Amino acid sequence: MAHGHLVAEDALTMERQWKLPDRGTVGIVFLIVTESVLFSMFVIAYLIYLNKSLVGPYPKDVLELPILASICLLSSSGAIVFAEHALKHNRLGSFKLWWAVTILLGAYFLWATAVEWRKLIFEDHLTIATNLFGTTFYSLVGLHASHVIVGLIFLTIVFVLTLLGFPIQTQLRRVLFLSWYWHFVDAVWVIVFTVVYIIGLPR
Amino acid sequence: MTDELHHGEAGERSEGAHIQLPAPTFWPMVFAFGLTLLFAGLVTHWAVGVVGFVITFRAALGWWHNVIPHEEHEEVPIEPELRPAPILVETRSVVRLRAGEQGHRQRVPEEVHPYSAGLWGGLIGGAVMAALACLYGLFAQHSIWYPVNLLAGVVIPGMGSATLEQLRAFNGLAFIAALVGHICISGLMGIVYAVMLPMFPKYAPFWAGILMPLFWSGLVATTLNVIDPAMNGRINWLWFVICQLAFGLVGGYFIARSTSIKTMQSWTLAERAFVEAPGVRPVREDEEK
Amino acid sequence: MAAIDYPLQRPKAEPGEFSFSETLYKWVATVDHKRLGLMYVASALIFLIVAGIMATVMRVQLMFPNGHVVGPDTFNRLFTMHGTSMVFLVGMPMVAGFANYLVPLMIGARDMAFPRLNSFGFWIFLLGGLLLYYSYLGGGGLSGDGSAPDVGWFAYAPLTERGFSRGHSSDYWALGVLVSGFGSIASAINVIATTFCMRCPGMTLKRMPMFVWVMLIDSWLIVVALPPLSAAQVMLLLDRYLGANFFNTQNGGSAVLWQHYFWIFGHPEVYILIFPAFAILSEVIPIFSRKPLFGRPAMVAAVVAIGFISLGVWAHHMFAVGMTSWSNTFFAASSMLVGIPTGIKIFNWTATMYGGRLRFTTALLFCCGFLFQFLLAGLTGIMLAVAPFDWQLHDSYFVVAHFHFTLVGGLVFGLFAGMYYWFPKAIGKMLDETLGKWHFWLFCIGFNLTFIPLHFAGMLGMPRRIYTYAPGRGWELWNFVATIGVFFQIAGILFFIYNVLRSTLRGQPATDDPWDGWTLEWATSSPPPEYNFEKLPVVRSSRPLWDLKHPQDPDWKWE
Repeated sequence: MAHGHLVAEDALTMERQWKLPDRGTVGIVFLIVTESVLFSMFVIAYLIYLNKSLVGPYPKDVLELPILASICLLSSSGAIVFAEHALKHNRLGSFKLWWAVTILLGAYFLWATAVEWRKLIFEDHLTIATNLFGTTFYSLVGLHASHVIVGLIFLTIVFVLTLLGFPIQTQLRRVLFLSWYWHFVDAVWVIVFTVVYIIGLPR
Repeated sequence: MTDELHHGEAGERSEGAHIQLPAPTFWPMVFAFGLTLLFAGLVTHWAVGVVGFVITFRAALGWWHNVIPHEEHEEVPIEPELRPAPILVETRSVVRLRAGEQGHRQRVPEEVHPYSAGLWGGLIGGAVMAALACLYGLFAQHSIWYPVNLLAGVVIPGMGSATLEQLRAFNGLAFIAALVGHICISGLMGIVYAVMLPMFPKYAPFWAGILMPLFWSGLVATTLNVIDPAMNGRINWLWFVICQLAFGLVGGYFIARSTSIKTMQSWTLAERAFVEAPGVRPVREDEEK
Repeated sequence: MAAIDYPLQRPKAEPGEFSFSETLYKWVATVDHKRLGLMYVASALIFLIVAGIMATVMRVQLMFPNGHVVGPDTFNRLFTMHGTSMVFLVGMPMVAGFANYLVPLMIGARDMAFPRLNSFGFWIFLLGGLLLYYSYLGGGGLSGDGSAPDVGWFAYAPLTERGFSRGHSSDYWALGVLVSGFGSIASAINVIATTFCMRCPGMTLKRMPMFVWVMLIDSWLIVVALPPLSAAQVMLLLDRYLGANFFNTQNGGSAVLWQHYFWIFGHPEVYILIFPAFAILSEVIPIFSRKPLFGRPAMVAAVVAIGFISLGVWAHHMFAVGMTSWSNTFFAASSMLVGIPTGIKIFNWTATMYGGRLRFTTALLFCCGFLFQFLLAGLTGIMLAVAPFDWQLHDSYFVVAHFHFTLVGGLVFGLFAGMYYWFPKAIGKMLDETLGKWHFWLFCIGFNLTFIPLHFAGMLGMPRRIYTYAPGRGWELWNFVATIGVFFQIAGILFFIYNVLRSTLRGQPATDDPWDGWTLEWATSSPPPEYNFEKLPVVRSSRPLWDLKHPQDPDWKWE
């Protein structure tokens, strides 16, 4: 009796032409999708509770525009692009430099947030329990800051490994995904900044 | 790795005796365990959380070691005894069902009755029905206007409180309302019949002539209370059903007598779109003549 | 990439040479999608039995008026844990389990896209579930009050706030579900990446089996719908631990916000839960009707439509909250809109069976049960989507009966169909058909006996979640009959358990393709080897095995 084979004669040609997206790309894209939904829930909560606080302090009394920190964070996105570019062309020295710049810019942003929170908590007596502004402000900015921290941890690991002589150019794909995550964190800051410091601050 | 296909991590090795699969590892489980303990620390004791953190950290290192610099793989030997049985070719061949083929349960009508036949059948059936209803009025209340007035109650709410005398008398407005309503409904029902008749299974006269009027009567019986309280209180259901049956039988007879027209159901898409190209359209019998 | 370190070579194993610890290691450390899939389904079945026992206790309590089998506090915990377990620890792992086992096999892959993430997903789901159940022991442990959570499966604020829920019971609810949610998201991303990146040559999206399509959309829904729940739970934990004010009405917070956030997750969730049943039916019905799925493109379009429309219907759970009439209208209309694609699916399954050469195996019987019961559930769903109707019956037993018709009459029946269908593939033994028919009929009769009467009890005004009721309200008969039905269901489930155990140990060995199937999982041996396919298959149509079995009339000539 005749029987068929799943692998046909033209299988090899078909296999050679068969192109599918990279699994890491798809994975990181949907991780970003799911994180975006998470962030939007906190953004919506911030907008819903805007101007609903029963007691002070209110945003207009205590918030100051973190312009320098924002510039630093956003330009770190550019720095990581340069680092990536250097790595692609196997210029390790340049990669290390731009990578370090990325980490420093991110770290400055985090430090600036810490300083801002310290002022809000100890000078303005605004805690997460004070009013709705405190609740939504600390949770939204804190959620973003926690993502910055996670990103910085990964960036630092890559940096330390590179300094120790690990052949980082073999990990180009993973470095690329890390940079996408970093761009995402920066993009979220644009939204958080708009919501908290522009829409949330009446002029 | 030049010639190797990339479908995730699994892949064949050139020797052909092994297949490369991701190596087993328990670090993801330990990582999950540590993470759960970390959260459980919130509901139990901070020390649990600290232990959880330590475990998570250790597991993360272990996991990284699994994937950096390369994902760890193991080569699984191909087991010849696990080869699936060959797939047998079925000896029976397949016949494709064509629309309109006899002896199958596929019932897309090849031929339908024209709408005009439905309209005329409905009007003639409606006339017979009206005649029977008037006959009933003559017998029961000595007035042919009695059923007309009752029917008008669908659109004239005042009929609900009318006395018997008023119902027997001729009422111009009610007459026009009943006439227009009756003609419209009869015509529409006739068209519905014309569309549906070819789609019924065998014994179309039975379905159209008897069962559909009975369904219709049932529908009216359940809703009449709402749409025409005047009629609901006074209706004689036996006569009502007889009138409906008369409509169904007479209308159905006239529709069935009409000359059917062919539908495009058995044509292919290309034929329906009138694509003219050699080989697209099989030559049909009537064209061969 | 020359510097690849050569992997370990596993020596050829003789059967029966593994010790206990080796077997344990094989299962615990596995990253094989088939083992993980089986572990998902097995743990889900265990949770199903546990939560089923809770339901039985509740039904026995409500069998007669003034029942006193359990007290009110225990009853509150029972319905909370029953609902939470059934949704998060039975439904979700069933999704993940079936997808894990079948998606790689159906698309001709050797594993999931992220095998280690897959293992992580399973374990964190299981440990999250155990954390939730640990509340029975630990909920009262260190702080004194409370045991298992008792706030209902949707845990409405402000009942869950510190002031109303002392102790840690609500924390256990939030943490257990949050933690197992990580697993769901991980496995959903994994399924998406697998379907996009791991298909065998020739397996275009157009040719992908319907099962894989539905699971892909299901994973999309998980990815976008689960984060709102996680966000709400994080907010709740912030409220409870740090004194934040999200849901604290004393300080301007809004309890309605919780409802919105919960149902933004909660309504897509019911589609997430029912989709595996859709997926299973779309494979089982064509095989046992010997006809290809009717209207395949329409089926794909319908499932994609549900995947998007269902994201915009959530507030129909909240008609009784007092929203604006515009919101009520919008959500009533959008809810009814979902009925259209769902109707298309029901119609197409029926049309697949119509004119087919039906083989009434147990799997197809369960599919038929699904069609009737899910249709009924859909109709009561449309009724409840009408806002004024919902005002009458909100939070009544009518609603309970409605969603049990979707989730038991729909999902559970679909899952059983899938288990009878793929058991030979997964275990290598056939499930006994006679026992299976006992299982089906007992379960089907029991299910309808339980949940049809609850519609009437609900319309007579019986509110859900009451722990007992006074006689003389006309609810006695319905509750009595409902509880009788439960015993039939238990008998059915016992038949199932016995069938699984007996068939696994002493069942008739299954051939590689016992049902004369058309999709790729039937092209490998039963059970499949660890690497699934020795050579990766190449496909040319949506029914690759049909093409091979009928070289005169292959599908690719028509598609």
